[in-house]
Amino acid sequence: MDRYQFEDAISAYLDNELPLSDRKAFEDFMKANSDAKILVDSIRSNMTSVKSLSQIKTSGSFMSSLHKMIEFEKSRPSKKFVNRPSKTLFGFTPLYAGIMTVLIATFITVGINLWPESNSPVNTLPAYTGNITDAPNPAPENPAIDFEQDAVLAASESDSSDTTLQKKKIFKLGDQVKFVKDQR
Amino acid sequence: MNQPSPNLSMPPFLMDNQFRYTDEELIARFQEGDEQAYTELVIRYRDKLMTFVYRFVNDMEQAEDIIQDTMLKLYTHKHYYRNIAKFSTWIYTIAGNLAKTELRKKKHHKVTNISQMGPEDRDYELPSVAPETDEIVQGEYIEKKIQAAIQNLPLHFRTVTILRDIQELSYEEISKIVEVPLGTVKSRINRARLQLQKELKDLK
Repeated sequence: MDRYQFEDAISAYLDNELPLSDRKAFEDFMKANSDAKILVDSIRSNMTSVKSLSQIKTSGSFMSSLHKMIEFEKSRPSKKFVNRPSKTLFGFTPLYAGIMTVLIATFITVGINLWPESNSPVNTLPAYTGNITDAPNPAPENPAIDFEQDAVLAASESDSSDTTLQKKKIFKLGDQVKFVKDQR
Repeated sequence: MNQPSPNLSMPPFLMDNQFRYTDEELIARFQEGDEQAYTELVIRYRDKLMTFVYRFVNDMEQAEDIIQDTMLKLYTHKHYYRNIAKFSTWIYTIAGNLAKTELRKKKHHKVTNISQMGPEDRDYELPSVAPETDEIVQGEYIEKKIQAAIQNLPLHFRTVTILRDIQELSYEEISKIVEVPLGTVKSRINRARLQLQKELKDLK
């Protein structure tokens, strides 16, 4: 035990809160250092002096003054009295708890009614009202021209959301297109 | 909503039953409207709190005002007490907080020491230092010296010292009152005692 540990343990020693092994080390340190023992004795003596300080009593008029203060507070227009109901539900008064429950139930009901009924992704796409089997443009006689026109059309409509028509056109040209892979 | 005024001067219910009720039972009764229970609590705690607050603020009149405010708060805010802590912890916390607030207010006022006054300022009579009886004088001297040493402690040391060494509360209770961990309370008490020892070195 060094000096710092000793000073840190003085109160614990005087209050009998040191474990037995620490207590022994503390007492050994005091035996080896006479000034340490003087310090502990001095603190113990001070504690006794502090404890023996006279008890201070309130004056004789304390109760009557307090009584007047209470009467005054009661007669004030804005009373300070806080009367909490003793029974609460999660910190709410029964009235507020009821109002909160109704509000939450209303919120949930409205929320459910506003939610889409079906989870099908079809609803998210715009409806195509035309006949899907009809070609949107009459088929040209020259397939090379047809391919070029379709390519331009596909490029210009690349951001269109109606992808079904585009796919259809590509499918229609399938016989005319020769892939590089096929030439090998 | 007129509440009946507590009969503060005569507590007949206390005479017979004062040993039958704990503080917590009394505050529960008071919360249900029993004004006599309030009176009993005031009687039980007024002097204990007075000692605590006086050692804290070092002014009798101010200390008594603080105790009255504490008791008034107990009356007006009785439902704030919840039976999860000891009543004594709660009431000491209220008194301690009020005392700290008063001390903060006091700090803002200019304080003039007697030693800084000129002879023309001293238009009142200082108590005679001539010894009436040696023991009395010595006792008073020691008490003043200790009180002055306590006043010289920093506020957080002063609070724990008074609660531990004068009020003799447990470390756990002090920890709840000052709202700091137990280890911090122990450390503060130890350091406060070491500081007091330095201040009172010549008091032998």
